[in-house]
Amino acid sequence: MPKRRISRMFWESSIPNVLADDAALQASSAAVQPMDDEAFAAFYERSARPLWAYLARTSGDPALAEDIMQESYVRFLCLVNPPSYLADGEVACRRYLFKIASNLLRDHWRRPRATSIEDMAENLFACADEQRSSDSQMILGPALASMRPRDRQLLWLAHAEGYSHREIAEITGLATASIRLLLFRARRKIARLLEASDAGREA
Amino acid sequence: MIFRPCPREAEVNALVERGQWPQACAPDLRNHVNTCRSCSELALVTASFQSARNQAVSAAKLGSPGLLWWRAQLRRRSAAVERISKPILSAQIFALAVNLVVAAAVAVWQARHGVAWLTWLEQLPRNIGSQGFTNLLPPDLFSARSGSMISPLVLISALAAVALVGGVVVYFASEKQ
Repeated sequence: MPKRRISRMFWESSIPNVLADDAALQASSAAVQPMDDEAFAAFYERSARPLWAYLARTSGDPALAEDIMQESYVRFLCLVNPPSYLADGEVACRRYLFKIASNLLRDHWRRPRATSIEDMAENLFACADEQRSSDSQMILGPALASMRPRDRQLLWLAHAEGYSHREIAEITGLATASIRLLLFRARRKIARLLEASDAGREA
Repeated sequence: MIFRPCPREAEVNALVERGQWPQACAPDLRNHVNTCRSCSELALVTASFQSARNQAVSAAKLGSPGLLWWRAQLRRRSAAVERISKPILSAQIFALAVNLVVAAAVAVWQARHGVAWLTWLEQLPRNIGSQGFTNLLPPDLFSARSGSMISPLVLISALAAVALVGGVVVYFASEKQ
């Protein structure tokens, strides 16, 4: 038996296989699968860190970033019409993943804010964490926090991930022409904040 | 605000992304960046974001991809089960509706023809324990008098309908639990 088949059986056997005899279900499940488990593990290793960085820096909440990242991967694997890993390539898969994560983050922002203290993230009460102690985060963090959520996303995708305007439009669902102008304004605003922060530190 | 991108932005951006800014930059481009507001902003912002990205990427603590794969498998199976269950649920609702219609029709029909066969219910306490099961049934249940053969059939149909409805109700209750 080939090695690939064995590993697939390992994952499958960890699930209560209540519908193992249902051939139609097995076939439909295989049809919607965007990639096999080995390819997914490799894809995850390469894409999870940038995705987490994007979510953590644009949301400002590492715990939320972790949750949204996991949900994004699960949704990506459950897509009915996923981008083909072989035909479209890893770049397309990664772009789609960022799109899912952006939508989840936007949904989170649209939800009403939690008022109960039990619902608030623990890191909000932390004195200092290691991310805030880094120089770049000390400068960029406050500047990013004063930007609008959509601007944070645009700036990160353009300047941290290096996506083109067309790709950002695909991820965020905005028009390419709008991206150009929104990004220009956001960049100008954050550049002013960074310069002011630099000047403050020097003074 | 005037939207005026500089034609050398792509050049500056590529240098910053490759980590070659400003050390490995040509002097003319460096002079240009010093004088061009758009390019200086681009260099500052891109360098800040690249640095923040590198630090965030190294700080990321990743979970197991196997766990995500497993969760996705579970969710796909749940979705498939739900897809399959939809027609079954529709059939159950249809059956319930048919039963209710039949029960209503029986009730209406009995109301129009009188409810004499219900009198055996009044005699039920006296019959219990004295003469056996056959005496629990209405006296004219199997008699050949005119019109009396319909009542038992209707009675059995009604009881069957009640049993079916009861079964469906119990099924839905257990499904919710």
